[in-house]
Amino acid sequence: MSISREDIERLADLARLKLSDDEIRDAERDLDSILGYVGRLQKVQTAGLEPFGLAPTETGWRADEVSDCDDLTRELILSNFPSRKGALLNVPAVFEAPKG
Amino acid sequence: MDLTLTKARHLLRQGEASSRELADACLAEIRSRDGAIHAFLDVYEEDARAAADRADDRRADGRSAGPLDGIPIALKDNLLYQGKRCTAGSRMLATYTAVTNATVTQKLLDGGAVIVGKTNLDEFAMGSSTERSAFGPTKHPRDPERVPGGSSGGSAAAVAARMCPAALGSDTGGSIRQPASFCGVVGLKPTYGRVSRSGLIAMASSLDQIGPIATTVDDAAMLLEAIQGRDPLDQTTANVEPFVPDWREDLAGVRVGLPTQAWGAGIDRGVRERTEEAIRMLARAGAEVKEIDLPYADEALAVYYVIMPCEVSANLARFDGVRYGLRKEGLPLIETYAAARAEGFGPEVRRRILLGTYALSRGYYDAYYLQAKKVQSLIRGAYEEAFREVDVIATPTAPTTAFRIGEKTADPLTMYLEDIFTVGVNVAGVPAVSVPCGDAEGLPVGLQLIGSWFKEADLLAVAQVVERRRG
Repeated sequence: MSISREDIERLADLARLKLSDDEIRDAERDLDSILGYVGRLQKVQTAGLEPFGLAPTETGWRADEVSDCDDLTRELILSNFPSRKGALLNVPAVFEAPKG
Repeated sequence: MDLTLTKARHLLRQGEASSRELADACLAEIRSRDGAIHAFLDVYEEDARAAADRADDRRADGRSAGPLDGIPIALKDNLLYQGKRCTAGSRMLATYTAVTNATVTQKLLDGGAVIVGKTNLDEFAMGSSTERSAFGPTKHPRDPERVPGGSSGGSAAAVAARMCPAALGSDTGGSIRQPASFCGVVGLKPTYGRVSRSGLIAMASSLDQIGPIATTVDDAAMLLEAIQGRDPLDQTTANVEPFVPDWREDLAGVRVGLPTQAWGAGIDRGVRERTEEAIRMLARAGAEVKEIDLPYADEALAVYYVIMPCEVSANLARFDGVRYGLRKEGLPLIETYAAARAEGFGPEVRRRILLGTYALSRGYYDAYYLQAKKVQSLIRGAYEEAFREVDVIATPTAPTTAFRIGEKTADPLTMYLEDIFTVGVNVAGVPAVSVPCGDAEGLPVGLQLIGSWFKEADLLAVAQVVERRRG
C-alpha cells in the first residue's frame, strides 16, 4: 500500500508535529518503505488468537491516593516548568481571545 | 586502568585502594579519553569524589553499604538522578532536571555506588548507533570513524574504554546487547519485569528494560542483583524469586539451541566464524548443541516496528512545550505544541511518532496494532516451544561488527535490520546477554545467549563458560 502526502499532513496534524515540505516528502518515502516491511504481518494466520497482554499482577493496581512530596522534589518540578510565577505555573491560553 | 567490579571490591576490602582513588582514576581516564570518544554527556566530578569519600568513611567505621559500596558506575542519560540534568539525548530535554531518582538509581545510591556521570544515547533511546543523539555521536573506542552501536552506545563505550568499570543501559529492541557486542563488553537485558522501569524515560513501555553493561559476566550478575526486584512504582515488575548467580564448572546436561532461521544468510563472515567458534567451545564444555526451529524471526522485527512506534507516539505525547522546556510563546495552543515538538524532536523520533500515529489511527488499528499484538502471542508461543527443547538459545548478537559513522543513517530500514537478532527477545519478554567472543578484523564480535523467562542464572552460567574458555 502507498502513503500519500495528504496522509502525512493528516498524521503530522494528529501528532502535533509541524513539518516542513522537505520533511513531509522524506516522511512519505520512509513510511512507505517501513510499512512495506511490516506489511508481512497481514499474511500471518492469527484467527482465534488473543492479542498479547501481561496478566495483571496479584497486587493489582496501586491505590489512588495522594502521596507526600518533599520540598526539594516540589521545587525541582516547578523549576522545570518553562514559565512560572512563584509557585504558580504559567500555561498558554486554551481558548483564543473572546469574540468582542 | 583495567578495573572490574570484582577487582575493585577486592582492592577496597584489602585496603589496597580507597574509593576516592578508584573515583579519581575513573575521572582521570574520562578526562584523558572522552574528548575523543564522547561517551559522557555529563560528568559529576565533585559529587563523585564526595560520594567516594563517604564510602571510605563508612569502610573506616566498619559499616559498608554492600557489594557496590564505593564503586564507580555510570548511568545512561535516560535514567533519572535527582537534581541532575536528564536529557534522553534530546533537545526537548536539554535543560530538564530530574525531579526524583529512578528506582535503579536509588538502589545504586543506597548501596553506596559512586555515580560518575551520564552517558550518551540515541535520542529517547531510538537508534542502533548513538549517531542520533542531539548532542553529537559517540565514537567507537577502537576506531573513531565507527559507531559504538546503540542506543546505549555511551555506556558501552565508557565501559569498553575503561572510563568506568560498569554502567546501566536500557534495552527496548537490542539497545544494551548490540552496543555491548560492538564494543566488546558484556551486556545483559533482563526478563521483562525483573527490573523496575520507574524513572526510566519511557520509549516503548511494554518492551523497555534496564540492565547492566560490564567487562565480565560476573560483574553483570552483581549489578543485576543490585537493581532487580518488585517495585510498587512499576506495576509490571514481577513477583518472582530474586536472581541469584549459579555458576557452573562445565555445561554437562545443558542444551543449547541454534535457530536455523538465525544462522542462515545475512551474517558477516567474521561474525559467523567467531560465533561458531564460541558454539564449539560450549560443546567442548559439555553442552548438547542442536539446531532448533524458532519461527517468525522476520515477523518479530515487523511486530516490533508496529508496537514500538505505537507506544512511542503515546509516551512522547507529553512533550508538548507546556510542561517541559522549549515553549514557543505567543502562539495559539495547538501551534505551541506543534512548534515545540518540531524544534525539540530529531528526525528519527518524528518518524516513529508518525508511524505510531498511523498504526493507531482509525481504520488501521486492527490491521496494524491489533494484528501485531496477536503475532506477538504467536512469537511468545514459539519461544515457549523452543524452551521445552533447549535451555539456552544462541545467535550472533548482530549480523555485523561496528559499522562506519554515516553508513546506515540514510535509509531507516537498513538501520532497523541491524536489530534482526535482538528484537525477538523483547517481543517475547525473555532475558538475553551479549558476551564477547573474539575479534573480526580488529573489531569485537558478540555471541547472544537467550534464556527462558526469569532464568538469568542459567543464561549467565553459560555466558561465563564462553568468557572463561576464551581466557
